[in-house]
Amino acid sequence: PVPPNGFMQKEREVYAEVYNQNATVSASTERERREKSMGTKEICRSELRSAIRQLSDRCLYSASKWAAEQLVGIEQDPAKFTSSHTRFQRGSSSIRRRFRTNEITSTPMAGVSYVSTPVPEEDNEAVDSDFYLLAKSYFDCREYRRAAHVLRDQTGKKAVFLRCYALYLAGEKRKEEEMIELEGPLGKSDAVNRELVSLERELSTLRKNGMIDPFGLFLYGLVLKEKGSENLACTVLVESVNSYPWNWNAWSELQSLCTTIETLNSLNLNNHWMKDFFLASAYQELRMHNESLAKYEYLHGTFSFSNYIQAQIAKAQYSLREFEQVEVIFEELLRNDPYRVEDMDMYSNVLYAKECFSALSYLAHRVFLTDKYRPESCCIIGNYYSLKGQHEKSVMYFRRALKLNKNYLSAWTLLGHEYVEMKNTPAAVDAYRRAVDINPCDYRAWYGLGQAYEMMGMPFYALHYFRKSVFLQPSDSRLWIAMAQCYETEQLHILEEAIKCYKRAVNCNDREAIALHQLAKLHGELGRSEEAAFYYKKDLERMEAEEREGPNMVEALLFLATHCKAQKRFEEAEVYCTRLLDYTGPEKETAKSLLRGMRIAESGFPSMDVEHFPP
Amino acid sequence: MAGIFKPPGAFTITPHKVSVCILLQIYAPPAQNSVPFPFSSVSQHNRFGLFLLVLTKSCDDILEPKLDELITQLREIGGLLNHWLSDHLTRRLSSLSSPDDLFNFFSDLRGILGGPDSSVVDDDQIILDPNSNLGMFLRRCLLAFNLLSFEGVCHLLSNIGKYCKEALSSCPTYELPRSDDSANNLEALLEYENMDLENFVFEKVTEEIEAKKRATERVSFHNHAPKALFGLVEDIEVSAGMNLTQSDKLREGRTFVHPSNDTLGSVDPPGGVFLRTNWQIQGYLLKQADAIEKHGSSFPLNAFESILKQLQKLAPELHRVHFLRYLNGLYHDDYPAALENLHRYFDYSAGTEGFEFVPPSSSGCNSFGRYEIALLCLGMMHFHFGHPKQALEVLTEAVRVSQQHSDDTCLAYTLTAICNLLSEVGISSTTGILGSSYSPVTRIGTSLSIQQQLFVLLRRSVKRAESLKLKRLVASNHLAMAKFDLTHVQRPLLSFGPKASMKLRTCPANVLKELRCSSHIISDFGSESSIMTTDGAFSTAWVKNLLKPMGSLVFSQENGSASNSDPFHFCAQPSSIPGSVLQLAGSSYLVRATAWEIYGSAPLSRLNALVYATCFADSSSSADLALAYAKFIQHLAVFKGYKEAFSALKIAEEKFLSVSKSRILLLKLQLLHERALHRGHLKLAQQLCDELGVLASSVTGVDMKLKTESSLRHARTLLAANQFSQAAAVAHSLFCMCYKFNLQVENATVLLLLAEIHKRSGNAVLGIPYALASLSFCQSFNLDLLKASATLTLAELWLSLGSNHVERASTLIHGAFPMILGHGGVELRARAYIAEAKCYLSDPSFSVFEDPEVVLDSLKQASEELQVLEYHELASQAFYLMTIIFDKLGQLEEREEAAASFKKHMIALENPQDEGDPFIML
Repeated sequence: PVPPNGFMQKEREVYAEVYNQNATVSASTERERREKSMGTKEICRSELRSAIRQLSDRCLYSASKWAAEQLVGIEQDPAKFTSSHTRFQRGSSSIRRRFRTNEITSTPMAGVSYVSTPVPEEDNEAVDSDFYLLAKSYFDCREYRRAAHVLRDQTGKKAVFLRCYALYLAGEKRKEEEMIELEGPLGKSDAVNRELVSLERELSTLRKNGMIDPFGLFLYGLVLKEKGSENLACTVLVESVNSYPWNWNAWSELQSLCTTIETLNSLNLNNHWMKDFFLASAYQELRMHNESLAKYEYLHGTFSFSNYIQAQIAKAQYSLREFEQVEVIFEELLRNDPYRVEDMDMYSNVLYAKECFSALSYLAHRVFLTDKYRPESCCIIGNYYSLKGQHEKSVMYFRRALKLNKNYLSAWTLLGHEYVEMKNTPAAVDAYRRAVDINPCDYRAWYGLGQAYEMMGMPFYALHYFRKSVFLQPSDSRLWIAMAQCYETEQLHILEEAIKCYKRAVNCNDREAIALHQLAKLHGELGRSEEAAFYYKKDLERMEAEEREGPNMVEALLFLATHCKAQKRFEEAEVYCTRLLDYTGPEKETAKSLLRGMRIAESGFPSMDVEHFPP
Repeated sequence: MAGIFKPPGAFTITPHKVSVCILLQIYAPPAQNSVPFPFSSVSQHNRFGLFLLVLTKSCDDILEPKLDELITQLREIGGLLNHWLSDHLTRRLSSLSSPDDLFNFFSDLRGILGGPDSSVVDDDQIILDPNSNLGMFLRRCLLAFNLLSFEGVCHLLSNIGKYCKEALSSCPTYELPRSDDSANNLEALLEYENMDLENFVFEKVTEEIEAKKRATERVSFHNHAPKALFGLVEDIEVSAGMNLTQSDKLREGRTFVHPSNDTLGSVDPPGGVFLRTNWQIQGYLLKQADAIEKHGSSFPLNAFESILKQLQKLAPELHRVHFLRYLNGLYHDDYPAALENLHRYFDYSAGTEGFEFVPPSSSGCNSFGRYEIALLCLGMMHFHFGHPKQALEVLTEAVRVSQQHSDDTCLAYTLTAICNLLSEVGISSTTGILGSSYSPVTRIGTSLSIQQQLFVLLRRSVKRAESLKLKRLVASNHLAMAKFDLTHVQRPLLSFGPKASMKLRTCPANVLKELRCSSHIISDFGSESSIMTTDGAFSTAWVKNLLKPMGSLVFSQENGSASNSDPFHFCAQPSSIPGSVLQLAGSSYLVRATAWEIYGSAPLSRLNALVYATCFADSSSSADLALAYAKFIQHLAVFKGYKEAFSALKIAEEKFLSVSKSRILLLKLQLLHERALHRGHLKLAQQLCDELGVLASSVTGVDMKLKTESSLRHARTLLAANQFSQAAAVAHSLFCMCYKFNLQVENATVLLLLAEIHKRSGNAVLGIPYALASLSFCQSFNLDLLKASATLTLAELWLSLGSNHVERASTLIHGAFPMILGHGGVELRARAYIAEAKCYLSDPSFSVFEDPEVVLDSLKQASEELQVLEYHELASQAFYLMTIIFDKLGQLEEREEAAASFKKHMIALENPQDEGDPFIML
């Protein structure tokens, strides 16, 4: 299924045309822009189509899966297709549209000139291809070594790649088996892919001689990364994606190497629309959620029906704690793609947070039927049991998830949460610590560690962990509040630091409105009535705005009333007192006596000092 | 996993263990004569047995030796036999080519074990006692093999293959310790080629090695080689340096190559890396921990860190590694690394893997984990880094948590740590530092001063430690108590009620009693059997003993009588007293030396320092040893002058070169400052004084000793520059600080300095009260030498008030003379002589003509001693007085001579630069 050369040639001409148009984009009208956008879509589509063929021809299945998903994700031209083709896409995206805030989508791709990347030609020697076909069918049956053996004497680039790739996978398979076989008492896990050394040697000579194609470069990068020479791996992968940008596997390997924004910025990447996908996902990993979201929204203009992009948007929104939107997106995703398991653990987290018992159980049942031995499935079931309060069972499923994937970050953290619920703090500490050692940027696990130590009555020790967590996520008010409460504990009682933390929490849009009240209270305790009054007033305003009532309201009113009276601002004090009269309880009586006192002071003895008549 | 007690690692069978089993088979072949086949004598056979014993017990590294290393060792031990032994070993190993071979091998091995009643066996037959060390080892190997699954057997087989192949491929690269072995090496290589191993692989590898060699050669000749290569080379050197400290003669060659292999192999881990058994690694780590604590910052940071990283990679569940990394960070002042690793260690292990490990079954409360130890460690870490506030917070939390978990041991340790903190760090008051009502310090009662609280705490922790039978803790608490008694007057603890009459003096008898109590520890441990010694430390000592007298010397002589003495040498067990105990006992001698120094007995102080340096130098930490050296050098400077002191300092500096911020640097600055003052080189003195001040931490309450010292010296410099008011101001603020932080002993010195300042500024009347105050301080703290010097100052003050106070002054001087002449340094003696002469001269009833020798003798003595000290000012004074006397006596020649000397010293004092920079002199 290789396209003849003529087809490629034609495709390239289309490119040139469109890119030339892009150069004069400033003068174009809306209609032209629409046409152009359709043109861009057409280019993406044709590029992806050939990429899928090439990728699956090289057995890079996950990359070809990804590309195919994006291909279907491009909006079809309604003029060309009947509604039956697009029905599946149309109906479903209406819900999402409700949540679309900005109309960035109407101007897709315009203004950016992309580098044209020639689609590589295939070496098409008839003799090799028979062997190649045999090797590929072995490969498809997961008989990797057999596949490699068939191709042992082939010298075509394609054949060399498949042979190396098959060897690599064979090594990986053996490594995984060994990991189970060798797991010693000290957790010795030095199982390595034994093919790496010879692969590296071969691929590096190929690269030196210029006999390597982008796929080979991708494999070389992969091998280098596994062997720990990350800088070279980065260079090689950049070479690979610059010459063949449609291999998503290469991009994601590259992304996993970009652990800092500096590394990311230092990459010398050609401008291709695949780069936008890469940047979006890299931003997400670097916790630059807003930048990532913007990129995805932008991509959404072209790939408006891509499940992948929707899921990624949901991920970003989840990190920004916009649960409502996440839920809507996932509902839609599930409708479009009911057998999806990827990313569904996040959906379950949202459902957990919103305490949707039945929805969570429905989800758990669904993934269970789809594929019960996926880490995500186990995690979802664990979440379900946790919500039900059956923590032992929940722990069992989280552990199963971890057995399936030892580096499953969120499962470690959730396991920690479960142990905390079960009051097994040492176990929780251990679980959280493992999460942190897998990814030191996981602020949730640091926070969990802090909480666990605070529970054990070690607030000073816990502070170290809270500090780590707020350092990583300084915009989360809950972390600041937790830290402040730690400072506030009876044992530490470092109120000044607590006040500082609460102030930060207030600045971070504290949703539960704990910080303002605590600030007012602490200032009151420290005898700074001015500051206390300021914060009580702010708290009061907020409660009014959000129409909340409660003991905090009474406390604020009472303090403000007495404070204003002491400051001799009787009118203000009277307002607060009258509002207090609406409540029952001892405060009402206090308000009454306050009012009485003020009236006496105002009417009877206007010249006398109020202090002579204590309320 | 998580929070559950982790069992110690099981015994896994590795190629090295298979090799040892093969050697065991040689050692004890089934049904043989008393001296089995390859051995020619009993002693040779015995030596081989000892070698095997060492192999099974050694733990000087985390990794098992590779085949070629083992062969090298065999060569050392085997003498003429070595070919046969190594041949046999390699042949036997390479003959194991299928799983069935392994099964047969292990079932054969069973034959060399004796039955449960091994006493019945004939004398002639060599059979391993199943309960002996070697027998146990064999049984464990058999058990481990029997437990292996088929996959395990396959792995073992492929590992053995790798093990043999690696020995082959690495042979040319390894530089063997002896050059004459190269022939054997070649032979061995030839033999290898005859074996049915893949020859082409071998060739390929050697080619590669040669290419590498060429590459490295190129590096060494051209300076513009890539940096990475140089980095690698440097790394190797670092690790080599570390291994030199192990001082293993035989292993030098091996260990030199070995860590470098690791650093190179971090990218490409060598295939056949096998960890030793769990307890061997634990022993290794324990030993390294001791070494870190002993050597402090001179311990190689990076080399050890890379070993730890490798260990962590190979055994991720061995969490002790994190603790070692913490220690390494701590002693190299790497705060972030230390903090991070401390937290990581306790997060993983909950303190159940650390020192004094108690399995949770023995005490039920421990299922919770021992997080109080984490707090204790964190507190000590903050203390080490000079964060007293945080340290106190954490330790307070540790007290609370250990009370909650009723962990008495930890509580005792924590209280001791708090005591150390309070006594080391100047804290003026606890309020404001401890906001909590839980605090053990504030709970005693806020009415008490810090010192009283410390006293109460100390007494409590001594009692607690005694009741818990924590011998080391008892000893160190006694030491702390002695230190407290040394510098604190006991006051009544109750501020109301009937008060027992108390003399407000320190009690030297108490100090010595406490010191004696603390050194009892050594007899406690000496009489006990060596339960406390870890198996690891024990066995490494064995290795050392085996290797020291070795070399093939003994064997090549090959006569039984000569090597007979050796087994005895091997059996000479190392001292059963653990290093930490020796260290404690040693530090009690150091405290003794300090105590005598404070009380003013120079010989006794020197004696104790000498005892310390001779008896405890091996076991003590380098910081303590540096302190002892500093004491000697100071003693030299005071009694023998600077020249000798500086030459001694030079030796000490070389010895403690790598210790940063050490006592030695401090001492150097002190001596240089002193000399600059004496020579009148005031600018330099001020500069040195500032340098001294910079050494102290900027946190209040930390490094109090250093801070007082530097401002004391500052005041003295100002005094020497005749800036009296500034000097007095500095001294006053110093007095205030000392008063605030309760540094009473220092107060005596400061008061004396104030008296001196007033004396020099001509306000003798103002000076007298200060001198008297200093005297009373000296009296209550038993500072006899300082008292003598205060008496001298007082006499000088009286003398300067006029001739009608001469009698009082001379009585004072004569009273102080015995002490000054017995224990005082050169300067003090000279001062006393001059003052005495002045007394005589200003006495109207004294006539020079009648008895000139009375004055001249003492002046001559003074001037001689001052010349040694290069103390120009005082020397010129002495010569001036002499000139006047000679003039009066009419001895013109002597007069001119004295006058010339006077002039010389005056010129030297005024032009201090002429004498050259003392830095260059060093």
